[in-house]
Amino acid sequence: MSVSQETIITVRDLKIGYAEKVVLQNVNFQVRRGEVLVILGGSGCGKSTLLKNLIGLYTPLAGQVWIEEGNFIAAKDSERLQMLRKFGVMYQSGALFGSMTVLENVRLALDEFTALPEPVKELVALAKLKLVGLGAAARRMPSELSGGMQKRAAIARAMALDPRILFLDEPSAGLDPVTSAGLDLLIKELAHHFGITFVIVTHELASIYNIADRVIMLDARTQTVIAEGKPAELRDNAPDPWVRRFFNREPDSASAVHPN
Amino acid sequence: MTTTAQHELTTDIQARPDGCIRVVLCGRLDAQTAVGCWNLLEPKLGAVKIKVLEVDAGGLQFCDGAGLALLRYLNMRKMTPSATVSVLGLEPELEKLFLGFTFDDYEAFRSTAGAKRHSLPEEIGESVSLAAADLREQVAFLGNIVASLPPTLIDRKRMRWPEVRRVFELAGANAVPIVSLISVLVGVIIAFESAQPLAQFGAQIYVANMIGLVMVRELGPLLAAILLAGRSGSAFAAEIGTMKVNEELNALETLGLDPMRFLVVQRITAGILLTPLLTFYATFMGVLGGVLITLSLGFPLTLVFHQLTSSVHLSDVALGGAKGIVFGAIVSAVGCLRGLQTQQGPSAVGISTTRAVVTSILLIVIADAVFSILFFLLKK
Repeated sequence: MSVSQETIITVRDLKIGYAEKVVLQNVNFQVRRGEVLVILGGSGCGKSTLLKNLIGLYTPLAGQVWIEEGNFIAAKDSERLQMLRKFGVMYQSGALFGSMTVLENVRLALDEFTALPEPVKELVALAKLKLVGLGAAARRMPSELSGGMQKRAAIARAMALDPRILFLDEPSAGLDPVTSAGLDLLIKELAHHFGITFVIVTHELASIYNIADRVIMLDARTQTVIAEGKPAELRDNAPDPWVRRFFNREPDSASAVHPN
Repeated sequence: MTTTAQHELTTDIQARPDGCIRVVLCGRLDAQTAVGCWNLLEPKLGAVKIKVLEVDAGGLQFCDGAGLALLRYLNMRKMTPSATVSVLGLEPELEKLFLGFTFDDYEAFRSTAGAKRHSLPEEIGESVSLAAADLREQVAFLGNIVASLPPTLIDRKRMRWPEVRRVFELAGANAVPIVSLISVLVGVIIAFESAQPLAQFGAQIYVANMIGLVMVRELGPLLAAILLAGRSGSAFAAEIGTMKVNEELNALETLGLDPMRFLVVQRITAGILLTPLLTFYATFMGVLGGVLITLSLGFPLTLVFHQLTSSVHLSDVALGGAKGIVFGAIVSAVGCLRGLQTQQGPSAVGISTTRAVVTSILLIVIADAVFSILFFLLKK
């Protein structure tokens, strides 16, 4: 399955921040079905805040977030619950429920929101865990898993109800290159085979080249999106020198140890 | 032949004369329609002995994880144990997903052991050995405090007095409102409750004597200590526990700073200094509450004051102060110990704070009992 022309998320004139402090404004972008969109930016530019606004944890100061046909920000509680089912979220730390086994974590949404018979729910959860390569860890507690396994388990949990969109916050942070590459492969497979749309916040350059169909780059100075496009294009041709520096991993200023 | 159409799924069950049953699924098989499909198939397929079951999924336009799980369940012969089951006609993409989780995977899951269950004797043994280990740690910690307190106290630079002042303010000054409220109320309650039975003997004036003795010797120190345990002992455990979880304690150690000298000594010093003050304050407020009730019963202030001073001796006040010092040491030491013992994991800090409060209160009560016995023996 390739990226379709159909738009699944539309962000319009979004202005976000905390009470008196505006973090980002005039944020406009669209995400197409089956696309892997990476949100990029330097530390502290508001990537995670943007993500939290997109998934409804924070309320934006102004603007709209449309998920398929509905305005998520303005949705009433009942509509909102329906819309929440359209996406899954993987948090940076995995955020697995520590008191439940990995299998129970994945089953939770199935138990709460479907009337499926017990054995089918178990099979769904097991299949999701197998998909992320954690079939053998089903009965283990989250605390017994490594960081990479916890993140994969969190993806399995986010996918329990087969959402069309997955939001991932820093999926490769703190993982070794092999594990991180494994996670990238999983994301690519999920996007290309199952048409799942991904919105990913990360700064892992290697992983961005691997997975991103398109990136949008945020900037703390201008407080908005400063670049949008394919990662390789931005690296070579971005008009803003800061964007090119970012992609080429060049430091901001001369070395402090050797000023010359 | 039965055909049933649900929302967007039609389930068609065809029985052939050779004992083969064919289930034809058309449309959308998702978490909603799979439920109806299950409810339809289970009684029909479970009732008869079937040799061959064919599931024709060629007509499915959409199938999600739940639908595939249902197909896999059928394929694993869970519904029809005697039949050979085949799932036919899945689209290549779905077929790939379907083969992603097989019977072998399920068997592998079944064979993994779940959480081990312990028998009762095992559990008793384990908790006894844990309690013994904990007692050992507490004794070792006590030794550690005794060893590190004096050298740190004399070394002004290492003592970090500003930290002591900060803890003193947080645990002491900030606790004043709640201590006031609770002590006054307890004083009022005790005076009020005891005034009624004492009235039967015409001995209401002795409410003042009682409230004086009870507050000075017992309740003042206990209230102050229990509030300290709830407010500050738990805070010490949470603070140090979070530092442990965030590896700040490791950072201290590799910088060559002993957490005992850097964190624990300051808290214990502050605890020992502030608890007697808090105790006297709680006592005063409790007595005040009691006095208010006796005044409202119609006794003049001078009489009440006389009763108070005649019943409460300096030794009682000293006892209250001594209890305050010991309770303060217990609460702050236990809070720090539980913080240092914090394990890894999301609930670890919560467990540490709970343990800090429970152990503090337990040790306070034990120490209080020891005080009572000692006081009794000394007076003899």
